Order: sequence, then C-alpha cells, then structure tokens
Amino acid sequence: MIRAFASGMWIHVVQFSRNPFDLTGVVIWPIVYASIAYYLLDSKDNPRLLLAASLGASVMLMWSLVVIGSSNALENQRWLGTLELLVAAPVPFAAVIAPITVASGVVGGYALVATLAWGTLLFDVPLVIVHPLAFALAVPCCVLAIGMLGLVMASTFVLYRAAFSLGIALQYPVWIATGLLVPLSVLPTFVGRIGWFLGPYWGYRAIREAALGPSPWPAIGMCLVVSATYLVVGTACLRAFVHVARSRGTLKLT
Amino acid sequence: MAAIEVHELERTYRSRKGVIRRRRTEVRALQGITFEVAAGELFGLLGPNGAGKTTTIKILTTLLLPSGGSARVLGYDPARQPGEIRRRVGHVFGGDRGLYDRLSALDNLRYFADLYRVPVREKRARIASLLELVGLTGRERERVETYSRGMRQRLHIARGLLHDPEILFLDEPTIGLDPVGAREVRETVASLRAQGKTILLTTHYMYEADELCQRIAVIAGGRFVAAGTPRELKARVLDRTVIELETFGVAEPTLERLRSVAGVASIASETREQAEVLVVQSRIGAEIVPALLLELTGTSVGKVITREPTLEDAYVELVGSA
Repeated sequence: MIRAFASGMWIHVVQFSRNPFDLTGVVIWPIVYASIAYYLLDSKDNPRLLLAASLGASVMLMWSLVVIGSSNALENQRWLGTLELLVAAPVPFAAVIAPITVASGVVGGYALVATLAWGTLLFDVPLVIVHPLAFALAVPCCVLAIGMLGLVMASTFVLYRAAFSLGIALQYPVWIATGLLVPLSVLPTFVGRIGWFLGPYWGYRAIREAALGPSPWPAIGMCLVVSATYLVVGTACLRAFVHVARSRGTLKLT
Repeated sequence: MAAIEVHELERTYRSRKGVIRRRRTEVRALQGITFEVAAGELFGLLGPNGAGKTTTIKILTTLLLPSGGSARVLGYDPARQPGEIRRRVGHVFGGDRGLYDRLSALDNLRYFADLYRVPVREKRARIASLLELVGLTGRERERVETYSRGMRQRLHIARGLLHDPEILFLDEPTIGLDPVGAREVRETVASLRAQGKTILLTTHYMYEADELCQRIAVIAGGRFVAAGTPRELKARVLDRTVIELETFGVAEPTLERLRSVAGVASIASETREQAEVLVVQSRIGAEIVPALLLELTGTSVGKVITREPTLEDAYVELVGSA
C-alpha cells in the first residue's frame, strides 16, 4: 500500500509538472499575492512580516491546488478513462486517491520555493529560518495535512460530478478560517476555533513558526494528528461512496 | 468449477430527470442472462449496442452491483468479495482512453504494477516481457500521447496482464482500430489463448469472434439469445443462401414488399462505402433473385452476389429474431 501511495504521488506530480501552463500559474500566483501583501502592509521595515506573508501566500496556493486538485482528481480520472481501472485495483481506493490530493500539495511546494526566491531577490526579504530542521519537516507535514483534507473532500466527488464548483467555493472560507487572508485577531473568536479542525491552519502555523519562531513542534504534531484523522474519515467515506457509486453505476459517467 | 458463472443476471439503471417535476426513469440493461465460461476458454459475448455486454463485464469485474441474479468469478461473488476478484482478473477496454498521456508507457506500467501489487522483484522483468508480448519494446520510454491508437490498445493489454490475472476481460479491444492495428491486437489475444488464459471477449466484429472464440453467447436488449461454438451458431443458418444486392435509396415500403416475397427469411440493410447493400437470407436458394429484382423495379441495382452464410449472418438472424 505504501508502494502504491509513493508510486501514485510520483506519477501525479510528474503528470502535473509536464503541463507548462499549469506550472506557470502555480509559480506566478503566490508571487502576485506576496507582492500585494508587500505593498499593502507597507512592510519594508518589517522583514519578518514579509516572510510570514510570503509563506502565507504559498500555503494559500497549496490549499487552492489541493481543493482544485482533489475536486478535479476524480473528474480528471473520469475524463482520462482511468477511474474504473483505479477502482478495480486491489489496493484500497484511498491509497489511490490520497496520492493525487497530496501530489497537488507537493506541487504547491514549487510555489513556496518561487515565492521565497522572489522575496529574497526583489524585496530583500532575508531568508533566515529560525528552526531549519523543523522547517524541513514542517513543509511536508503541511502538504500532508492539506492533502489529507483533500482526500476527505475527494470522497464526496465520487458521487457528485458537480462537486467541483463546491470545492472551488471552499477556497476562501478556509483561507479566512486559517488566518491566511486576514489575521485571525481581527475576526470573531469562533472563526479561529473553526481553523483548529483544518489542516491548512496547522500547516501554516507549523511552517511560519519553524521560520519565525517560537517552537513549531506543537503545530507539526497537530498536522500529523489532523492528517491521521482525515485519513480515517476519508478512507471510510471513500469505501462507502464507492459502494454507492457501484450501486448507481456512476463511475463511468463523464 | 467454471471460471465464470452467470445466472439470471439482472441490472437496472435508475435515474431522475427534471428540476421541479422529478421523474424517475428505469433502464433494464440486463434482464436475466445466463452463461458459463470454462477455465482456459476464450468466450465471446456478442450483441448490438445496448445489448448489455459492457454492463455484464462491469458486474464481473466488480465495478457495478447487479440488481438481481447471481455471478461467480473463480468461485467468488463480485458483489460481496470484490477484493478477491480484483487481484485475480484483468480488465481491458477498447478506445484510446484509460492511460496517462503525459507519461511514458513504462511509467504507466510501473504505476499500475504497484496498484495491482506486482512484487517489486518481478516488476521489471514482467514489464519487459509484456512490452515484448505486445510489440512495444523500444518505444516504452516515449510519452503515450505520441502513440497511435493501435499502440495504445496494445499497451492497455499489457496493463491488463501486469498482475498475471487468471481471467482477462476484453471489452471491444479492437474498436476504432485500423485493420493492421486490429490484426495485431487479435494476434496478441490469440497468443494469450494459446497460453491457456481464460478470456471473456466482447466485440461487434463477427470475423473477430469467429477467428478467436471457442464459444459465443449472443445477447440482445439485455436478454440471452443463443450460445454455442461459432460452427454451431453458423449451422442455424446453413440451410440458407445469402443474397447481397447493391442498391441505392431503397425506401421502407419497398423493404416491406421484399420481406413478403416467398422464401425470404430476413433482410438487413447495410451501408458499405457509397452503396446500400441489402443482405437477404433465403430459405429456397438463389432462385429467389428474380422475384426480388421484380420488387426492386424502378430502383437502380448494382452487383448481385450469392454466397454461403457466415457467422455474421447467423448473428443478424439471431439478433433480428430476438
């Protein structure tokens, strides 16, 4: 199963990376947001704030890619004609779909690199990472936490082809609830509480705290906890929804 | 024990239409079909579009749940024991979809080998031997998007065989292929049959079924029509003579008059290149031709050919009378 997961992730990262248009968008998009943040926050004298904004823009894109990737994942497989082959594989369906959603998050890693490079080269953002080792761990943990939330979302898309539009609609609420778009301190308290249940919240905190301090370890731990929870929920949902799709005969529909 | 047992299998698709007034519609794709496939047999499932061939294969490969009846694949129930079946069967369908286009053939096969639990130690050798089998050795590092349809179809077959399945389901594997590509796929299927693989093949092409299949079942409209060896099915129309009349623009009333000519068993109209060909099955031999030509007075008639019946004629007769 681990082999199927690793192989699937590699295949889908390669499949995505070979489309220059998709790749260009991934690199440019967070740079635009980070640049807006730079001018909006007038943070020339506060490089820490600028680094936080750059990291936030990268995590925003990571989430967007996973939302779009997971809602697109099944639709793309339908379009490619591979969905039935994947369902008919002897490994659990979650081990087939999770790599696709996590691969979307991995592609978001390109954005992280591009945004940090952009900030350093153009805006003189000092690339000083407080906990380099933790940062190296926080990035994959963030990808995992976001990708696994994508797995839960993807399970519903087995049944509903129109779920793509619902997935797109979920981009902004999650950005807001995780403090990526607006600081949580300016929002009602309950909004931040919602963020506790979301992978992007803990993923962003882990990366930000690894880069800027204080200790990132509690957030990294929470990334793993929410990832494991999403995996259990996503696996159960996929199993149930695939059964319903077999009953209704909706796997092949395009 | 038979490799595949299908007994009174039924499948109904239900859907709802309309926004305000929701209407339920039902399509009965399978209405109680029964057949068995022995181990090592190449069995053909024939039928026109919408006959239920693909639905049958999907139930047997665990992608669909039946609405009624029962099925066993290698002794396992596809509805309740999908995991047992999935690791023992391969599924190949026709058309150029079902592959990752931006990846090479090798990457596609590696990925599916991992999904189908091919042991790591065997993976490389298995992929190499399958590429050899389907004639893609030397092209395996090229992206699939650069492949011809025939090459894609052969790659599909290699993918379906990766985990060395006991049963291979081939759903119209030559559809849309040019004659050379189709022949290459048929040769691959024939070599698999020679290796003793159990194969369930669906096809529209009678010569393909005639050439490859040891036994055939004909289904139409979700119902079982007939089963037997190609020779047995052909024997059903051996007492007939087939007359092909090349015509242009025969109207339905004329066809009705032709059907009422004494000795006519059936008439089918086919379009071949520029011409319309009436395929008439006669119970009384070629002496029926003058009567047919008389009914076609005023219609331009080209070549008239008299020949022995083929499996296709038997199929047309069976499906037409179903």
